[in-house]
Amino acid sequence: MSVEELVKTVIMALMPIFGIAIALYTVRIIKGPNVSDMTLAVDCLSYDVCFFMALLAVYFEAPFLIVCAICLALWTYIFDLYIAKYLERKELGE
Amino acid sequence: MWEIIQQILLYIGIILVVIGALCDLIGALGLLRFPNFFVRLHAATVGTIGGAVYPLFGLTLMTVACDFLGYWKWLLASGSFITALIIMITAPAGSHALARGAHRRGVPVEPKVCDFLEEDKGRGG
Repeated sequence: MSVEELVKTVIMALMPIFGIAIALYTVRIIKGPNVSDMTLAVDCLSYDVCFFMALLAVYFEAPFLIVCAICLALWTYIFDLYIAKYLERKELGE
Repeated sequence: MWEIIQQILLYIGIILVVIGALCDLIGALGLLRFPNFFVRLHAATVGTIGGAVYPLFGLTLMTVACDFLGYWKWLLASGSFITALIIMITAPAGSHALARGAHRRGVPVEPKVCDFLEEDKGRGG
């Protein structure tokens, strides 16, 4: 088995696990009793999608997808801080 | 010699990616099943650090051995490494900010053993 076949087989085998994890995170986003729970689930889901995007970049041999993954990771951090500021001061800030 | 190093990096990377996928599933289960927000933060840590940072480092090692990508493999390897570093630095900071905001907002800690921060705030400390 060549390196390409091995890597693509491993990525294809891991995709159902990520599908199940994304579905469970989505259930928590819908169920979440508080805003903080929903934010935590969106946080985990975004980092998950970030890694999934890097895997897809290898699978489809499209390396520019990794740039989107970097932006997504940074955006998630800003989202966290924004919600935390809203929870603490009850204002959205400037 | 370089081929042997590439083989070793490939297998270490694949092992890290598989461990990361399992950690991701465990984190998702924990986030769904744990009782309150502050316990769910533990599962979220498993889901982010174990489920995104480790496999991204593994992907960095794996893509170095992927010669079928051509020279773009270096872009993928460096991009994965930078993404892993960003997540490793920002995810704990975001989680701490969220926990502080939630505790100040008064999110209930339902099966509670002790809450020293609330006692300190009650004394005006």
